[in-house]
Amino acid sequence: MIRPGLRAAGQRAASVVLTLLGLLLLTFVIGRVMPLDPVLSIVGPDADKSTYDQVFRQLGLDRPMTVQFAYYLRDLLHGDLGKALLTGHEVVDDLVRVLPATIELATMAILLGTCVGIPLGVYAATRRGQLADHAVRVISLFGYSTPVFWFGMMGLLVFYAWLGWAGGAGRVDLAFDGVVPTRTGLLLVDSAIAGDWEVFRSALKFLILPACILGLHSMAYISRMTRSFMLAQLSQEYITTARVKGLSERGVVWHHAFRNILVQLLTIVALAYGGLLEGAVLIETVFAWPGFGQYLTSSLLLGDMNAVMGCVLVVGVIFITLNLLSDALYHVLDPRTRP
Amino acid sequence: MKNKKWLRPLTLALLLGAGAQGLQAKTPADQLIVGFSMNNLLSLDPAAATGNDVVEINANLYDYLIELDPLVPGKMLPGLAERWSVSPDGRSITLSLQQGVKFQSGNPLTAEDAAWSLRRVLKLNLAMASPWKSYGFTAKNVDKAVYAPDAQTLVIDLPMPTDPKMLLFTLATSVSAVVLDRQKVMAEEKNGDMGTAWLTTHSAGSGPFSLQEWRAKDTLIMNRFNGYWRGPAKMKRVVMRHMTESQTLRLMLERGDIDLASGMSVPDLEAMKKNPEVVVQAMRRGTMYYVAVSMKDPKYADRRVRLAVRKLIDYDGINATVMPGYGVPNQRPVQLGLAATLPSPGYTLDVAGARALLAEAGFPNGFKTSIRVLADPPFINIATSLQATLAQAGIDASVITGTGNQVYGAMRERKFEILVGRGGGGVEPHPHGSLRALVYNPNNSDAARLTNFQGWRTSFFSPELNQLIARAEVERDEARQTADYQEAQKLYDAQVGAIQPVSQMVDTVVVRKDLRNYQGHPSATTRLRDVYKQRPETGG
Repeated sequence: MIRPGLRAAGQRAASVVLTLLGLLLLTFVIGRVMPLDPVLSIVGPDADKSTYDQVFRQLGLDRPMTVQFAYYLRDLLHGDLGKALLTGHEVVDDLVRVLPATIELATMAILLGTCVGIPLGVYAATRRGQLADHAVRVISLFGYSTPVFWFGMMGLLVFYAWLGWAGGAGRVDLAFDGVVPTRTGLLLVDSAIAGDWEVFRSALKFLILPACILGLHSMAYISRMTRSFMLAQLSQEYITTARVKGLSERGVVWHHAFRNILVQLLTIVALAYGGLLEGAVLIETVFAWPGFGQYLTSSLLLGDMNAVMGCVLVVGVIFITLNLLSDALYHVLDPRTRP
Repeated sequence: MKNKKWLRPLTLALLLGAGAQGLQAKTPADQLIVGFSMNNLLSLDPAAATGNDVVEINANLYDYLIELDPLVPGKMLPGLAERWSVSPDGRSITLSLQQGVKFQSGNPLTAEDAAWSLRRVLKLNLAMASPWKSYGFTAKNVDKAVYAPDAQTLVIDLPMPTDPKMLLFTLATSVSAVVLDRQKVMAEEKNGDMGTAWLTTHSAGSGPFSLQEWRAKDTLIMNRFNGYWRGPAKMKRVVMRHMTESQTLRLMLERGDIDLASGMSVPDLEAMKKNPEVVVQAMRRGTMYYVAVSMKDPKYADRRVRLAVRKLIDYDGINATVMPGYGVPNQRPVQLGLAATLPSPGYTLDVAGARALLAEAGFPNGFKTSIRVLADPPFINIATSLQATLAQAGIDASVITGTGNQVYGAMRERKFEILVGRGGGGVEPHPHGSLRALVYNPNNSDAARLTNFQGWRTSFFSPELNQLIARAEVERDEARQTADYQEAQKLYDAQVGAIQPVSQMVDTVVVRKDLRNYQGHPSATTRLRDVYKQRPETGG
């Protein structure tokens, strides 16, 4: 007899593997049918037929698609994501380099977005229809509807070019590039581990502006959703009961209403975080941030399917992990979901 | 009291900001910081490298046998070869190499390294084999054709008659002509790849800089090679950063956080021209912006329709409003400034003339067609202008945008009607390069798949022009050769070729005004060995 917990874990693992496999297959097929030719990217538009054909064979594109996919899966099982077709770098090495850059940016952004967005949403909900509520809604609408690209350019112009408060493009001042040994790839963490606070300050200076701009976008979304969730809770009878019992308004809002929206908020924040990890491409472009979004986009435009497949796998794993994490946290936060 | 709660963090933020401003540093005096898009930087291997960016990088990691003066078109200067001579029959070139040159590895540089480097290009048959194959070199004959009788002498025998000057220009401009450290490369060989996997991300040259690190689409760092045979470069380090956004480049240049930027948009370039802290430097390249039609399409096989399209391009409008910063007017298939280049034919927009021609060709009410084009400026702007002027003669053209891969891919497959593009060789300051790329087409059959010839891609086939171009190539008398090339231009004009040049490419870089000796090269072989910064505190 298999224990129910073990069976559930097994089912969950099988569904994860199947999801990733389906994702890879879909990407692989799309990559092969879309009108992008990696060979042409490699040999250039003026290459003759013999060079083109030779590179076509070298990339293994002359083999049937099923064989190509089977080889890809075989290598994947050995932990080999292959080489980026165009640059010759190992995809794993590229991902190990670009992913921490984006994780650092997205984590800082989601922290800012959450820490500001949730209190704002709660504040607006408790002052429904008042000036503060309208102000928060306008701020949210502005943050959500204004293109992040425009915010990025304006941010650079004001805080970098005019005021000189923020660093410019890149992750750290050139003088500090490569100064601290790479351990996690997260510059703030690596410089803290190395005890090099000058590098830490420089990295923070370069990080804070793009993170704030990305965070503003998340903040707008999170505050809107928080407000809406809170409004739903605040109209419930148990809230009226709590107020009748003489609880303080702060206690009613934070200990009763807010606790009940935590599970929903968790989903929102996890999804927003996942979105930032894969979708920070515009802000990465404006700030020349050598991150995952830029890597994925440029690989896709050049038809570098090995790199794209590696990226898709990472995105899949990120979303599945975030889903699993939020599922696990549901049990912690909401006793009703516990088995 | 409530307000005071906000004041504290606000004051703290302002103080932190002011403190941060104190940390702001300009670029170091002994380092050159460059910003540009590295999206097209794919392989550093000289045999496989495509695009101008990698040429500029490899021109500093490696040495060429011959160099071209960046300011005087066609003037050859000694490189690793201190002198060279051409045999009386024009079929053999002998180059004498400098003595005592060493690679960055410490290995001595010999003529055998130079011979091996050229042979390697043919044997690998990658992107940069094209120019050598056009001279008749093959993987089979190159061992005999390129050899080193002694450590300082390199001999190149031409497998078929050609203008030896053209080959010398290729030696001076093609990224594949650099000399590799044979021992170092072969030590990294895997599965008989002649070190190409390793050279994709490493270098093995004798140039003034050595490659420290290349993080794809992030940063490339080169360090000064102190044992450089011409004497060490003035800059200790060159740092290149991947920056795709023009306005970011502009802000960083204005703040002095980068020294040099390329690939900026025209509005930003125009703004930078007014900034006294920077210098805008434009370099004319040999490549053309053109409007091409496919003669596989029966409509465009008709000379009258091609002539009508030629009359429906607003050359003046495009060059005045779209091309500043991207190109200068040129309507000939030969680059400007060469002895053989004829004066402009002076084509202008002539809608009435085009309408008459279309009516004569059986299209009094025009027809439907499509224009394939890159989605980026200035291509899309040229296509939009063309779409409007074609409409004036009743031609209803839809614009199909795509990436370079998609647009030129369709052209290579001969699957297009009209295409706005850029190309045509022009790396060598010689008419043959452009005519070969844009006009020459030795076999027009689909099966021939001569995808490297744009003449073939457009299905333009003129035996007379082929013959004339081939004759001019082997003509040893300069005056007669010039006359042949001029006749070829007139004939192309009369036959209404499938490719109509509109403008000749200009590359623009912006440099900080304290940067000295930076001279962009028309062939992209811009050398950084003499570049330095004139700063008061360093005394230069």
